[in-house]
Amino acid sequence: MNLMSVLVPLVPAAFALGWWSSRRVGARRSGAEVSELSSDYFRGLNYLLNEEQDKAIEVFLKLAEYNRDTVETHLALGNLFRRRGEVDRAIRLHQHLVSRPGLSDAMKTVALLELGEDYMRAGLLDRAEALFSDLVAMDAHAPSALRHLIAIYQHERDWHKAIEHARRLEVMTSEDEAPMIAQFYCELAERSRQHGARAEARDYLRQAFKCQADCVRAFMLTGRLHAEDDQHVEAVTAYEAAIQADIAFTPEILPPLLNSYARSQQMERAEVFLREMLSRYHGVSPVLALTQLYRQRDGERASIDFLTSQLRLRPSVRGLMALIDATMDKIEGEARENFLILRDLTRKLLEGQAMYRCSRCGFGAKAHHWQCPSCKSWSTIRPIHGVASE
Amino acid sequence: MRLLAILILVIFIAAGVVLGALNADLVGYDLAFAQVHLPKGAALLGALVIGWLLGGLTAWLGVSMGQRRLRRRQLHADKKLSSKP
Repeated sequence: MNLMSVLVPLVPAAFALGWWSSRRVGARRSGAEVSELSSDYFRGLNYLLNEEQDKAIEVFLKLAEYNRDTVETHLALGNLFRRRGEVDRAIRLHQHLVSRPGLSDAMKTVALLELGEDYMRAGLLDRAEALFSDLVAMDAHAPSALRHLIAIYQHERDWHKAIEHARRLEVMTSEDEAPMIAQFYCELAERSRQHGARAEARDYLRQAFKCQADCVRAFMLTGRLHAEDDQHVEAVTAYEAAIQADIAFTPEILPPLLNSYARSQQMERAEVFLREMLSRYHGVSPVLALTQLYRQRDGERASIDFLTSQLRLRPSVRGLMALIDATMDKIEGEARENFLILRDLTRKLLEGQAMYRCSRCGFGAKAHHWQCPSCKSWSTIRPIHGVASE
Repeated sequence: MRLLAILILVIFIAAGVVLGALNADLVGYDLAFAQVHLPKGAALLGALVIGWLLGGLTAWLGVSMGQRRLRRRQLHADKKLSSKP
C-alpha cells in the first residue's frame, strides 16, 4: 500500500480530532459547558440563599451520591448539618472525609477544621482543642484554629492560655488583639480580687494597661480596688479616667464614682465633673446624679427645678420616674392616685426594657456584660440611648 | 478512568514504536524549494501531529474570535447604557 493512500484519510482525521479537543478545552474554560452536576449545585446554593436548608440538604445529598469524589459537596453538607444542629451527622461526615484515602493534604486539613468546629458545637471541647492544636502545629489554617482555641479557653476561663494564643494570633495575622488581651487580664485581675490577692490583681491590671492604655474595665477595676482599700481620692481619679476613656459606660461608672466622691467629701468636684458631663453625655444618668446631689445640698425644691428643666431638654422615662418619686409627697387626693398609677406604669415600662445592646450582634440585655453572651465579642455591649432607657 | 487512559496511551506508544521499527526505510519528499528524506513512520507521525495541531489552532482561533466579538458587543452595550441619563 502506498504511504499517501494511508495519509489521505489519516490527516483529516487528525485535524478533526485536534479541532474537537481544542473546542472541548475552550468550552470548559469559558464555562459554556454547564453540566447537570453544576446546575444541581446552583439549585442547592439557591435554596441556601433562600434559607430553605432542608431542600438544600436534599440537593447536596443527591450531588454527593452522584459524585463521591466531590469533597467540596461533602464539606458543604457537613456545614449544613452543623448549622441545623445535626452535629452527630456532621461529625460522622467529616470523620469519614478525614479517613478517606487519597484525599489531598489541603482538603484533609479543611475537613479537620470543620470536624473541630463540629466538636465545639457538640460541646466536646477537649477533642476540639486537640484537633485545633494539631492544626496550629501543622501550620494549616492556623489563624482560624487559633481563633477557635481562644474561644475554647475563654469558655473554660483559662485566661493564661487564652492570652498566650491571642498573642500568637497577633504575631501570625498582624491584627491588633490588644483590646481582647486586656480583657483577659481584667478577668484575671477580677478573679484575684475575689480571692483577696490584691497585689496580684494590681499586677494584672498593669498588664491590661500595657495592652490597652485606655481600657475602661481596667480603670473601673482599679477604682474598685482603691475604694475597697478606702483610698477614695485615688478611686475617684480612676473612675473619672474610666469615663474619659469611654463615656458610653457612664451608667455603670457613676454609682461607685458618686459613692467615692461622698466618702472622700469631694462634692464640689463631683458637681463640676457632672456639670461638665451634661454637655458631653446625652443620657439621663448624670442628670439623676446631679438631682440627688442638689437634693442633699440645696433641698427638694432646687432638685425638682433642676430635674424639670433637664427633662424638657432630654425627655426620659427614668427621669420622669425620678420626678414622680420626688413630687409624690407633695400631692394629695385624686391627683396622688393618678400619680401612683403613672408611677406603676413607668416602672413596668422600665422593667420589660433591655437597657444594654451589643453593637455587634444586637443582643439585648438588662444587665451589663463585658463579653456578649451571644456573639462572644468583648466590650461591645453598650447602654441603649432613648426615651425609655438611658 | 485515569488508569484506562494511561493503558491506551501505552498501547499506542508501543504500536508506534513497532510500526516505526517495521517501516524504517526512507521516503523522499520534493517540497519544490527543498528535498527531504524521512523514515516512513516519522513521516506518518509528523503528518498526524501537524494535522492535529492545525485542527486545534483552527478551533482555538474560532472560539477566541467569537469571544472577542461578544466582549466587544458587551462593551458597546455597556457604553450605551452608561451614556443614558
